[in-house]
Amino acid sequence: MRFVADFIGALREAGLPVSPAESLDALKAIQLLGLDSRETCKNVLALTLVKRQDDQEIYEELFDLYFTGVEKAKEADQGDSEPSEDLLAAQKDAGNGDDSAANASSALGQALIQKEDMSLAIAQAAVAEKLSTIVLFTQKNHFAYKIMQRLGDEALSAEIHGVTNSPEPKNSPDPKQKKLQRELIKSRARLLDQVKDYVEQQHQIFAQHKGQKYREDFLQQAKLSQLDRLDYKLMQTLVRRAARKLAAQHSRRRLTRKRGQLDVRKTIAANAAFDGALFHTRWKATRVERPKVVAICDVSGSVSRVARFLLLFLYSLQDVMPKVRSFVFASDMVEVTELFKQQEIELALEEIMKRWGGLSTDYAKALSGFQSQALASIDKKTTVIMLGDARNNQGDGRVDIWEQVFRKSKRVLWLNPEQRNSWDSGDSIMSEYLPWCSSAEPCRNLKDIERIFSRILKYS
Amino acid sequence: MIIKHQEKIASPEIIQSRYEALGYICSNSVATAIYLACHLQKPILIEGPPGVGKTELAKITAAYLNAPLIRMQCYEGLDESKALYEWKYGKQLLYTQVLKEQLGDVLRGAKGLDESITRLHEFGDIFYSQEFLEPRPLLQALQSEDGAVLLIDEIDKADQEFEAFLLELLSDYQVSIPEIGTVKAVSTPIVMLTSNNTRELGDALKRRCLHLYIPFPDAALESRILATQVEGLDAQLREQIVAIIGKLRDMPLKKSPAVSETIDWARALLLLNVAELDSHWVKETLNLLLKFQDDIELVEPEIAALLKSLR
Repeated sequence: MRFVADFIGALREAGLPVSPAESLDALKAIQLLGLDSRETCKNVLALTLVKRQDDQEIYEELFDLYFTGVEKAKEADQGDSEPSEDLLAAQKDAGNGDDSAANASSALGQALIQKEDMSLAIAQAAVAEKLSTIVLFTQKNHFAYKIMQRLGDEALSAEIHGVTNSPEPKNSPDPKQKKLQRELIKSRARLLDQVKDYVEQQHQIFAQHKGQKYREDFLQQAKLSQLDRLDYKLMQTLVRRAARKLAAQHSRRRLTRKRGQLDVRKTIAANAAFDGALFHTRWKATRVERPKVVAICDVSGSVSRVARFLLLFLYSLQDVMPKVRSFVFASDMVEVTELFKQQEIELALEEIMKRWGGLSTDYAKALSGFQSQALASIDKKTTVIMLGDARNNQGDGRVDIWEQVFRKSKRVLWLNPEQRNSWDSGDSIMSEYLPWCSSAEPCRNLKDIERIFSRILKYS
Repeated sequence: MIIKHQEKIASPEIIQSRYEALGYICSNSVATAIYLACHLQKPILIEGPPGVGKTELAKITAAYLNAPLIRMQCYEGLDESKALYEWKYGKQLLYTQVLKEQLGDVLRGAKGLDESITRLHEFGDIFYSQEFLEPRPLLQALQSEDGAVLLIDEIDKADQEFEAFLLELLSDYQVSIPEIGTVKAVSTPIVMLTSNNTRELGDALKRRCLHLYIPFPDAALESRILATQVEGLDAQLREQIVAIIGKLRDMPLKKSPAVSETIDWARALLLLNVAELDSHWVKETLNLLLKFQDDIELVEPEIAALLKSLR
């Protein structure tokens, strides 16, 4: 059972949300079916512990890693309890002619000379040293050393040294002693290898995903402008996960309103107790809320470093939510809803950045483009999101159009990738737009984006 | 649920072989899930692409255990009154009318309003008692004497509120009816929920269930399914069908053909007396496999290449 509990620990480290109740279920199920058949065991644990399909892969990988180790340890266990004939023979050997084994004074030395299987001992030592807390690969040697110590390496080393340096003048080149020493050195090297292998395997089980989690946490907090190209891939999955989470939480919101058609059946039913006098009314109209979102993203030179991430989020949002219209602009406003629909994410982003990215900004032209393309479709259910830095190269900002947008829509959000105190510095005309935004916020990392969007959806 | 024949669920292997005899070929993980559901008395949440036999599994389980199958189809807007219970309003109304005259007898001799009310109270909430309760699927399942198999189909189509409402039922096999109190299951039913994953289900629901994912079957399993489901199908043709379907599932289709479509296709081919697959017949019957015009257009030019790769 401890194996199962440890395995659940490993699953948790890898990011699977296993609750105590589920652990108990798993244990009960294992008690019913036993650990004998690997396939059954795998099925049982998957049924009780893995509740999301995305986690299936991690689960299978961990299961294979983990239970290979367990099986080995089990075999060793059996080997211990009923010593095999080889072992007996070896012991006999040691006891008879060659008394080198008898000479090995340290416990570990004796065990090694008698060629006992150390797997179980290693596993026990590892538990005692809390190997499962391993996080970084740099800790591997440290843990290997500690496990060796616990196995009794100190005494063994002392013995090896003692044999070399023993100042016994009468028979210094004792062939038996020499042989024993060589034997011990060799066995110790083998043991060290074995321990290192074990630590390596445990590191894979417990730390691989932990490391990734650290990285993800870091990415969520990191400033968008400072992210490396290398992080794009991971960032993409993070963004996607965030967008999906948001959509799952909010995409179906259903409200019963006290207006619309009277539901006669329900009303009569609700009032049957009052002899048919209609005290309570029941209404037919239930309204499914589906927030309508128009998102505009600046891709000009001044925001080029964060534009990719804003687009990434836009793409993911459109992917998971109905009724999102996406626009990009530098100087001309272009609708990219269709492009997003048709192209894979990488290609779409590449194409947008190539065709419209990095140009100089002209909010006036862009907004008048927006006026002609989309203003008519904005109504009181629409949320308009602008992702841009309001740096307009000293030109007129056509604030009047933004005012119209604000008046026609339910809400206007302005997300600025710059921090608040650099708004209005240089050619930024943020303060001109500010009166016509329901809220304007700096949006500098993924956490910000997630928080802001979650609010949009919650109150839509 | 009281299972009269314990030997029927003695081990996953027995379940697997008996189901096979009934015409449902299942993998080890499916059999294990059924076994655990019976022994741990936990609901199973079954996920997987449409047409892999999720609903069928519930039907076959009911048949195997000789229990009634109570099925509840979920949809947007499903609420308690359709899922759990409703009061028989008509009957309540009728009874109040009929009993109006009796009221005089009951209250005869009572002095003052207070005494009359007290007398009325003595009769309790007669209009909100079991007799006026119209049980809907969930309550039916709880009330069945010998247990039942309750199938909650396509739970992902229902609202989140309904999902939350199910939690009490799934963990404790009881429901609360405000006017009566808590109704406990007479005999714990076996509950199966199916989902097509159109929306992510809540963690609370998943935590209470065993989670079984049924993927598309591999070639060997599918071949066995075809053999049991479509009698008289030539073995060679069967292998060809399975191979083609496997290839189609690797293509980027809007909707990959599921097991049920494979079976339909095989039956159609059998009916048409097709001895060997050729591009003419595949083209003619493609609409049995693919349900989107886009998919058909995508696959049609590839048919010759697909058939060639089989040989």
